[in-house]
Amino acid sequence: MSTTPLTPEIVSQEGNAMVLSMGPQHPSTHGVLQIMLEIEGESVVKAEPEIGYLHTGIEKNMENLFWSQGQTNAERMDYLAPSSNALCYALAVEKLLGITDRIPERAQHIRVLLSELTRIASHCVWLGTHGIDLGAISVFFYCFDLRENILDLQEASGGARMHPNYVRVGGLNGDLPAGYVEKLDALIAKFPGRMRELRGLLQANPIFQDRTIDVGTMSAEDAVAWGVTGPALRGSGIAYDVRKAFPYSSYDQFQFDIPTRTEGDAYARFLVRLDEMEESMRIIEQVRKKLDTPGHVAIDDPKIFAPPKETIALSMEALIHHFKIVSEGFRVPPGDVYQAIEGPRGELAYYIVSNGENRPYRVRTRPPSLYNLQCLKGMAPGNLIADLVVMIGSLDPVFGEVDR
Amino acid sequence: MEIGPGQFLLARLDDVARWAQSSSVWPLTMGLACCAIEMMSVTSAEYDIARLGSEVFRSSPRQADLMIVSGRVAQKMAPVVKRLYDQMADPKWVISMGACASSGGIFDNYAVVQGIDTIIPVDVYVPGCPPTPDGLLYAVNLIQQQIREGGRGGILARS
Amino acid sequence: MPSTQQPPIAGAAIDPPSVRPAIDDAVIERVDVQALRARLQALKADGYTMLLDIGGVDYLPREPRFDVVYHLLKMPLKAANVQQVGTPQRFRLLCSVRDGEPVPSVMDLWRNADWAEREIFDLFGIVFENHVDLRRIQMPYDWEGYPLRKDYPVRGPARERSPRPAFALKSNVQAGTPPTGRTLEALQEQVKQARDGESK
Repeated sequence: MSTTPLTPEIVSQEGNAMVLSMGPQHPSTHGVLQIMLEIEGESVVKAEPEIGYLHTGIEKNMENLFWSQGQTNAERMDYLAPSSNALCYALAVEKLLGITDRIPERAQHIRVLLSELTRIASHCVWLGTHGIDLGAISVFFYCFDLRENILDLQEASGGARMHPNYVRVGGLNGDLPAGYVEKLDALIAKFPGRMRELRGLLQANPIFQDRTIDVGTMSAEDAVAWGVTGPALRGSGIAYDVRKAFPYSSYDQFQFDIPTRTEGDAYARFLVRLDEMEESMRIIEQVRKKLDTPGHVAIDDPKIFAPPKETIALSMEALIHHFKIVSEGFRVPPGDVYQAIEGPRGELAYYIVSNGENRPYRVRTRPPSLYNLQCLKGMAPGNLIADLVVMIGSLDPVFGEVDR
Repeated sequence: MEIGPGQFLLARLDDVARWAQSSSVWPLTMGLACCAIEMMSVTSAEYDIARLGSEVFRSSPRQADLMIVSGRVAQKMAPVVKRLYDQMADPKWVISMGACASSGGIFDNYAVVQGIDTIIPVDVYVPGCPPTPDGLLYAVNLIQQQIREGGRGGILARS
Repeated sequence: MPSTQQPPIAGAAIDPPSVRPAIDDAVIERVDVQALRARLQALKADGYTMLLDIGGVDYLPREPRFDVVYHLLKMPLKAANVQQVGTPQRFRLLCSVRDGEPVPSVMDLWRNADWAEREIFDLFGIVFENHVDLRRIQMPYDWEGYPLRKDYPVRGPARERSPRPAFALKSNVQAGTPPTGRTLEALQEQVKQARDGESK
């Protein structure tokens, strides 16, 4: 059995400090995280997070799956926003194939819709667990109720609540079902009231403000030096959002703002994420208007995307293409690509290398949570253990992504 | 556990103990990956596992009866899972939630333990990736059924 | 259903980054290990303040074998709104590394290189010099082998099966994924050996 070795790099063991292993089984570490803490009383002298307790070998797994199956593994990395991961993978492969311009308009809009819905769902989980960590248990129930509506929509379109496997290379797996836009309208109507309730629960709460204001402060230089992206970076004053800086899908057709704060503490990140939820709903309302025009949802190339199932009984070519795609997969020209999107945690990117064969040669993920979590080493010393819980919550790590 | 024909009083006590145990199965928060989010959904208002008796999810294994292993178990995490299982007091039950905990799931590779039943004994397996919260509720129902109908549990709490 | 048993179809390029199509995602440059630190210091002085990621790739039949890829972003430090951020420039530095050749660490230039380099060491076996704490990060600390290398089997070292921990239950030996190549004869042999073991 291999336990974490207490090397001098992890714990300095000078003076009266006690070494405490916080995790991997802990109610407030948001997953399997172990932090080797060196504490004096209640305050932290040194904090060294230890990760790897959820290492799944996804990158090596993807080297043995077809290109069209890669998003099943990709979705399971950041499991709070699965459609975001699938979208990033699909965009990267489409760039290598050279078909980015041939993805139909409707597919782009639905992809944007899914991205924003999963962003709201992910922030719901963040807010609920952040509240529970600090003792505000009702917030959890309000947030998960909102999340249930979004998961209903995902189940309707993709077939599963989480990991719907709906975003594919070349488009989407089928059009939206009947009744979907009505459910979406109901969600859009319900959202402002629910958002007011969520803000009313925590934003002006003096206990919450006491616990989060001036806790985990990170200056802009520190944030950039640690490679932090996403709401944590925007809470420190830098308005970098991949949707605006390097637009993808059809984001350049929609109007939205990037909420930014300058304080850099946990409360600033909290406010940034709440504002982001409202901005996401603003994008969803704009996408909703575009969903009324019908269109294709996948590229019209039978060599890459399987033809509709109905045509297999009628057309020999459709049957052969379907057979080839399922048994052998399509080939992607050799090359490498770095494709980034704005996930709920920051810049999620894939560096994909293709050998020219029908499987990826290497899929390297740039996980935002890994770098967001690493800045804990610089943030934690000098604070209380209770503040550590607040800091982890405000950075919002997802360990499927950190460990892969 | 077999109770002989002359032990009427013990048999009735055993029934009472089994009724009490099945009505208040308290899970351990062994939330590892995506299935953990569905486990959290099960505690939310829509599915509400508290009405089945699982009122609180304890993080300390000493205070929990049921270990719901939800998520893929990595090689580094396997000794931790085993240690937590050993630390739980008898009687204890295990639900292996999801495909990854039951058999390694879609990850047939070096990093994932191919089923936690290789390291701890499992009572109920829940298929799905992730299983819907209804599936987990049904699994808890099955555990309760097992307890009431003579499985692990009872006044002597033998495995 | 693909698996390690089926060979990939038509693996063409040995050095994909050199034959890539014209995808405009970053400024790309390739350096040797000797010139790496100097180049990265120059890039940092040029305004590439954020190290996004360090990745490793194993091109096994190629010599030098590995590629260590640095993804950089020219992020302005005073960027309070979207107009000030603009479109930052991306840079991709590919460094060819031989098997066994150490690479200088860039922890002092960008603090987030710490875990990225540890992960490349853990999964590829590339050693980084002057790293404060180079130990395994994803695999258990006493793991042998470097999993993401191309000659490491996907299912792990122990005969195509996922390695079983030392405290595994003997009664559940049949549980889990059956090994590939499992035939009726092999099963009958297994039963026979178990019976012979019991009768002893």
